[in-house]
Amino acid sequence: MLIEMRDIERVYHLGRSEDVHALRGVSFGVERGEWVAIVGQSGSGKSTLMNIVGCLDTPTAGHYLLNGRDVAQLSDDDLSDIRNREIGFVFQTFQLLPRESALNNVELPLVYRGVKARERRQRAKAALRQVGLGDRMRHLPTELSGGQRQRVAVARALVSEPSLLLADEPTGNLDSATGEEIMRLFEQLHRQGHTLCLVTHEPRLAARCPRAIRLRDGCIVADGPGREVAFADLPDAARAAAPVTAPQDNAPRSAATRCP
Amino acid sequence: MSLRVDLYEGARIAVLSLGLNRLRTLLTTLGIGIGVATLLCILGIVQGLNASFATQLSALGSSTLWVSKFPWVITGDKWWIYRNRKDFTLDDVQAIREQSRFAAAVAPEIGRGGSVSYGDRGLSRVRIIGSTGDYLTVSGFEIQSGRAITDADSEYRKNVVVIGADLVDTLFPHSDPIGAVIRLRDLPFEVVGTLVRRGKFLGESQDTSVIIPFRTFIADYGKRRGFEIGVAVENTDLLNQAEDELIGIIRRSRGTPPEAESDFEVNRSEQLAKTYQQLTAALYGVAIGVGGITLLVGGFGIMNIMLVSVRERTREIGVRRALGARRRTVIVQFLLEAVAVAAVGGAIGTIVGLAGAKLVASITPLAAAVDPSTVLFGVGFSSLVGLLFGIWPAARAAALDPVESLRWE
Repeated sequence: MLIEMRDIERVYHLGRSEDVHALRGVSFGVERGEWVAIVGQSGSGKSTLMNIVGCLDTPTAGHYLLNGRDVAQLSDDDLSDIRNREIGFVFQTFQLLPRESALNNVELPLVYRGVKARERRQRAKAALRQVGLGDRMRHLPTELSGGQRQRVAVARALVSEPSLLLADEPTGNLDSATGEEIMRLFEQLHRQGHTLCLVTHEPRLAARCPRAIRLRDGCIVADGPGREVAFADLPDAARAAAPVTAPQDNAPRSAATRCP
Repeated sequence: MSLRVDLYEGARIAVLSLGLNRLRTLLTTLGIGIGVATLLCILGIVQGLNASFATQLSALGSSTLWVSKFPWVITGDKWWIYRNRKDFTLDDVQAIREQSRFAAAVAPEIGRGGSVSYGDRGLSRVRIIGSTGDYLTVSGFEIQSGRAITDADSEYRKNVVVIGADLVDTLFPHSDPIGAVIRLRDLPFEVVGTLVRRGKFLGESQDTSVIIPFRTFIADYGKRRGFEIGVAVENTDLLNQAEDELIGIIRRSRGTPPEAESDFEVNRSEQLAKTYQQLTAALYGVAIGVGGITLLVGGFGIMNIMLVSVRERTREIGVRRALGARRRTVIVQFLLEAVAVAAVGGAIGTIVGLAGAKLVASITPLAAAVDPSTVLFGVGFSSLVGLLFGIWPAARAAALDPVESLRWE
């Protein structure tokens, strides 16, 4: 098993007495080669979960085994190294370094791994070709379209051959056509055997994943085939369509500290 | 990841960001630049003074002891005590000549100011020196052409003179001075020799002297002022023994009782050097104080701009951390950037400082010179300032939470 989460809790301390329980005991596993969507509204805890899965954050309680290694208690340096080797991030806002060329952006994870310049260059070029940007390597991010930028980000995530590709709302800043382009790219990567984790609030995208996990108020409320989980919780989706008035959203969160 | 890779990547980023923020870098670095320029300029002037002083000092003859009523460096208000001391006599000179085992040459030196003329050309404020045949050895002057004053000239009170290079320039621009008769304070003297040019010392020409025979001087201008005795010592290692011996000889010659203090001084160029060093030490202190404060201010400028830079690039830091940069990598990156900004300032300051020293050298009589080590010092020191003032911003950058910084707008 690639990812094994056991009773993961994450509490944010805001002020003296106010604690926010973003995750209240989440357990699940992900096998190699799986494509899992994590869905939920904003405030459901999916971003917190993504940060923990990506080793950007550590849980307050519980165990997180990545490749059989408990990363919940590792030092900051060890977490950096794990992010570098095991995780490939794709962000909603691309997060490319604006002053560096596409090639330099893709090379960056290999720089931090200490790979020699020549090999770095070769691998970065290969990754850019893989996402169909063989002819845009010397361009700056500002000289690329949104879809192209996100593909550079995907190439950067792939170049270090990570165990897990972690995408946080990767189509959120793209129009539907380019978003579709990126989803196709993910499908292709999934067929090639990559393990993917897609964090999204769009049921439409989650439905295309073989498996989806739905979070609400810091707890897993559904875990199953994407098509079923994505649209199962229709009242939830209806609430999302009508924002602003959702007092019941906050009410239960502070009441219980553990999932039922 | 190794520190070497951190340094390499950090340096690359630093150069890149300098290139992108040229104006900001330039303005930030101005403080450091002014500090370094001030330091280098003052140090350049002091070093220039040192160099010319050393040259002049060696021309004075580092191996000569000067016996005088006055010490060369007078502190306090004791001038009148020295003034009222007994004058030397030629018997004292004779005693040293006969008794000293260390003296290679002994010559009295008496002097006064005056004006010189030849035809319708003239030069005022000339230093007229009266001495004997050993004077060249004792004083370090050298003959350019003709001959020196001899003991015989003095014995027969001849009206002959050896003139300095400035007098040759002024009085004999087109003719040979040897054999010409010039007027010194309205008395006629025949030029028998000229002196090799010595150049300037602390901005004052050393070539406006004329040397006439000692007894001629006394006969023509009187001996109210008294004179000094220059004693050239053969072996400079034995200056101390020579001085002790000299003091003994003069006390005996004057009949000073054993318990009484000596009523004369033995001077040597070392003393001048010492006083001079005290003087320049104060100058160095001022230079370091002024430069230090400016560098401090410049350092805070760098700290400020680095804090701005960290804030601006919070997302970049988040991305780098997400991709596997350790805290140390981020620290090295920002430290190197601070050092690079400061080093640019140091380099600019060095150029301005050197130009300033050159300018001072060309428009004032002060000789300013900067040796290569000072340049290294300027750039090195400003880099150090950058490093020190970069620590806090860099530490703040490294302490940022990756999650928070990725979300930064």
